[in-house]
Amino acid sequence: MTFFLYSNILESLYPEIFLGFVAFGMLLMGRRVKNWMVYTTISIMALLISMILLILLDSGSQSFFGGAFVINNFGLYFALILITSSLYVSFTAGSELKHDPEIFFSIFLFVNIAMIIAAFSLNLIFIFIAFEGISVGTYILSAHGKTRRNLEASIKYFFTGVIATGFIVFGSSFYYLSTGTFNLVSVANAADIAKPSMLLALILLFVGFGFKLALVPLQQWAVDTYDGTKNPVSAFLSSGTKVLAFLIILRVFLVGFASMRTDVFYLFTIVSIITMTYGNFAALSENNLKRMLAYSSIAQAGYLILVLTVVSGSTSQFAFTVAIFAAMYYSLVYIFMKGGAFMATGAVNKEKVEINDLSGIGLKSPAFAISLGIMMLALAGIPPTAGFFAKYYLFLSLISGNLWYLAVIGILNSAISVFYYLRVIVVMFRPSSEEREFNLSNSILLPVIIGAVMSIGLSFLIFGYPYLSGIVAGLGVGA
Amino acid sequence: MLNYAWFIFLTPIIFAPISVIAGKKRKILAGVLASLSITVSLILSVIVWLSIRGTSTPIYQTFNWFDNINAGIYVDHLAVVMVLMVSFVSLMIHLFAMYYMKDDPRKNTYFGETALFTGGMLGLILASNLLEFFLFWELVGLCSYLLVGFWFFKPNAASAAKKAFIVTRVGDLLFIIGLAVLYSLLTVHNVASPLSIPYLINNAPAIASEIGAQNLTIIGLLFLGGAAGKSAQFPLHVWIPDAMEGPTTVSALIHAATMVTAGIYLIARVLPLYANATPLAGEAVLYIGAFTALFAGTIGIVVNDLKRILAYSTISQIGYMMAALGMVTTFGESVIGYSIYHLVVHAVFKALLFMTAGVILLTLMELRDVKKMGGLWKRMPITISLMFIGSITLAAIPPTAAFFSKDTIIDVAYNYFIMNGSNIYSILPWVFLVVGALMTALYTFRMFFLVALGKPRSKLAEEAKDPPKIVLIPLMILAFMSLTLGLIQYRFYDFIVPNTTRVVVPMIIEYTPLTVVAIGVLITIGIYGTTKWQRMHLEKNPVYRLLKAKYFLDTLFTRVIAERVILPLSSGVSRLEKGFSISIEGAGSGAMGFGGILRKIENGVVEYYFVFLIAGVAILMLLLEILGGI
Repeated sequence: MTFFLYSNILESLYPEIFLGFVAFGMLLMGRRVKNWMVYTTISIMALLISMILLILLDSGSQSFFGGAFVINNFGLYFALILITSSLYVSFTAGSELKHDPEIFFSIFLFVNIAMIIAAFSLNLIFIFIAFEGISVGTYILSAHGKTRRNLEASIKYFFTGVIATGFIVFGSSFYYLSTGTFNLVSVANAADIAKPSMLLALILLFVGFGFKLALVPLQQWAVDTYDGTKNPVSAFLSSGTKVLAFLIILRVFLVGFASMRTDVFYLFTIVSIITMTYGNFAALSENNLKRMLAYSSIAQAGYLILVLTVVSGSTSQFAFTVAIFAAMYYSLVYIFMKGGAFMATGAVNKEKVEINDLSGIGLKSPAFAISLGIMMLALAGIPPTAGFFAKYYLFLSLISGNLWYLAVIGILNSAISVFYYLRVIVVMFRPSSEEREFNLSNSILLPVIIGAVMSIGLSFLIFGYPYLSGIVAGLGVGA
Repeated sequence: MLNYAWFIFLTPIIFAPISVIAGKKRKILAGVLASLSITVSLILSVIVWLSIRGTSTPIYQTFNWFDNINAGIYVDHLAVVMVLMVSFVSLMIHLFAMYYMKDDPRKNTYFGETALFTGGMLGLILASNLLEFFLFWELVGLCSYLLVGFWFFKPNAASAAKKAFIVTRVGDLLFIIGLAVLYSLLTVHNVASPLSIPYLINNAPAIASEIGAQNLTIIGLLFLGGAAGKSAQFPLHVWIPDAMEGPTTVSALIHAATMVTAGIYLIARVLPLYANATPLAGEAVLYIGAFTALFAGTIGIVVNDLKRILAYSTISQIGYMMAALGMVTTFGESVIGYSIYHLVVHAVFKALLFMTAGVILLTLMELRDVKKMGGLWKRMPITISLMFIGSITLAAIPPTAAFFSKDTIIDVAYNYFIMNGSNIYSILPWVFLVVGALMTALYTFRMFFLVALGKPRSKLAEEAKDPPKIVLIPLMILAFMSLTLGLIQYRFYDFIVPNTTRVVVPMIIEYTPLTVVAIGVLITIGIYGTTKWQRMHLEKNPVYRLLKAKYFLDTLFTRVIAERVILPLSSGVSRLEKGFSISIEGAGSGAMGFGGILRKIENGVVEYYFVFLIAGVAILMLLLEILGGI
């Protein structure tokens, strides 16, 4: 007989199991050790090790539990991105959140476990559980800090999040009702599907999953929550969990609803137009830096889901490949440019950070200002940053998929967004009228510089197109 | 493995920022580093020269840049000669500039920019692809702009830099249109790498038969436009005299020896295309060159600004090189040798002349009017002796190098006349060039006599004196070379193009240029060697006024074209744009207001959020129902 511990299934779950052990270990250590540096180091090491384990154990192509848990390079790519995002956040998290670090980091690792599982799941129940793991974990993370603002942000997040959870359950049951399975891949025969309940499932699941990505009309929690939580948590919420939600949306709506391509196309066309426009316009006149970034991340989510419109709305194989490649590329770039920007707000020692509070920082610390400037340029999609190439591939896929009107709307929106991104740069290099103290410790400066370097350096990933376009098929959907 | 020839142009480019930064603290370091990097370039050039001297196989190394454009280096005999010339002259000028710019507070910037320029120029020469060529072409244009405007606090310098930039832009536009036409025509024929230089020069007949000689002519004319802009040929020559507002070493480096010859190099580089186009392409080059040689020379006679005299002489001499290249349809590739030989010789003696001018201007506190100088030979004997060597070379008096290089071109022009039907039309180039030689002698010796002889005509000139001898060493080297380069004439020709046609003309024709020069010298001795010129009142003379006004070309460009045509146009457009910008501002504030309304949705009350969510989802569902059509 074979031991369960040595079976293939368990072997591929080693990264998650390892992270779990470390997380529990941290909880136990918390009684004695309160030094945040210890926990930061442990969690960085643990995440690195789990990354290596992922690459070693999960780089093949396997399928377990009757197709519910599928390991392939596409999922692996996203799992690695998600862990990279967590790594990036944990550089600064410890010094920002000095009390109860063991709780923060152990929950952080639990969230990571859920994220890895979610990255490989193709079953609505699996996804639901993993997704809830992330949600519950992030509710706690966003409450961390225990000021009134943190708690308020977390409560808002929690209340709206619970509704989304309800919608997921409801939607999954409708999905089961119409298809007879929770697995996303096995719904191939369109004729067998009961259409009206499938449409209900589509909308309900859209609400549930779109909630995390803060798509309009599910966006309201995002601004308040990003604004109210600690910077590393906002960075994580707006980068890591967003990319994960995006991956799940890709899976659910492209694979699970492959039989309803027209509906998926219309749904995401409407939503992406509204989301982009809403985010960009609302960000225009926003003076609060974190709220501005929150609106901008709503707008960015609007760009991201354009991928779904291409895949569901066009028949060109090239457009399909480029679109998925753009999704993969954009997700990777996004965690650095958005996460870095959120962490940069920590440079101002205030609870509510206004954009104007940054004035004069360009003279105090050119490195900081230039780095943040680069990230702003990347967010605005100005060459030669990686943000430009991400948008380039996205719009290329739209145009080659004959969806040029969406490309035009997207480009117009980018043009609008340049205004508020460049405004940050202008303000930074404006001499300030009053003397200001900035927090430019290494835990702020380092992530910001890393973010800027990656925002430029990742543009070389375009040379990875031949390889990455090869693993696109791992999504499990054809054009 | 990267060929070491890459570092010929990479070294100065890499060193440019280093010398700016390192020179910030220790000023001396900037010049040393820049010179050092160019020394490396020179050494590498010599090594390359030694390695390809005996063979006819060029060094060719490329990588795929994007799509069907390969970028890399292509070093054949032509390129290696240019590289040697540029790195050598640039090194001499850098060494001298360390003295000339010694008191400038921004000299680290200066050396950074000149090093960058040298790197760009070397890169331009080595480029293996015309697009790459164009990028370097723009880079040197940019450096020229920066360096002409180096003393930007002088309003003249700032506006001269702008003028230089804008006028050359006209040429660059033509050049890039030519590139686009060539690229698109060749891409239609599925050429693997359409703009690659080796492809263009080795397959010129095939290209001509594929895209048609007519089209090739158009491309050639567009390239000529680019070359005329960069090399200051009529009618785009107007920027060079103004560009003299920059430091004199810049004029020596950029506007005499190297950058202005980039146009010649461009045409020489793609000469097989001209050879296979219809004769019109070559003729255009020939007539523009010959006309410019004469035209610029006539203006040079009446200019009083020391550096501008040299500037007009540069335009005129480049006209000779251009004219030589234009005779490609009659003499084949041999003309490259004639042209490039004169180019090299010219670079040497013109750099020398400019640097002596720099020495004079330094001691005269930037007083540039030759009529206010005089008597300098006694006061600064070494400098003026060097200037004398430069002057006799410029005037092509034997046995200086220019005598061989320039007279060959004039003789070739005579043969062109014989071989092209001996008619009034084909004799024009020869006539232009011979009269141009007379003009050369006139303006050269007018300048020299006014500077060197007579009594000092200003206080500053009385107190002029030689600089330390050590800083004149680069000048002496150049002077030596301008006297001796003539020895290698035929070896030079055969090195560039094997079996160059030897020019043979009747005796009387052979001596015509020399006679003309002698006449010119005699005239100038008569007028400017004595004090006679001070009693001449030419202000009423219409010819003098025409020349003094530079044929009213500047007036034409600024008064007529700019003020009458472009200004009304631009004011109309600006009025349109004003309306546009008002509407944009309106749109902007509208957008801000709209955003403000949108932000009201985020009022922080969770109950509203639920209502909004449910309402939004309901609307979405309704829309899907309508659009999706279940």
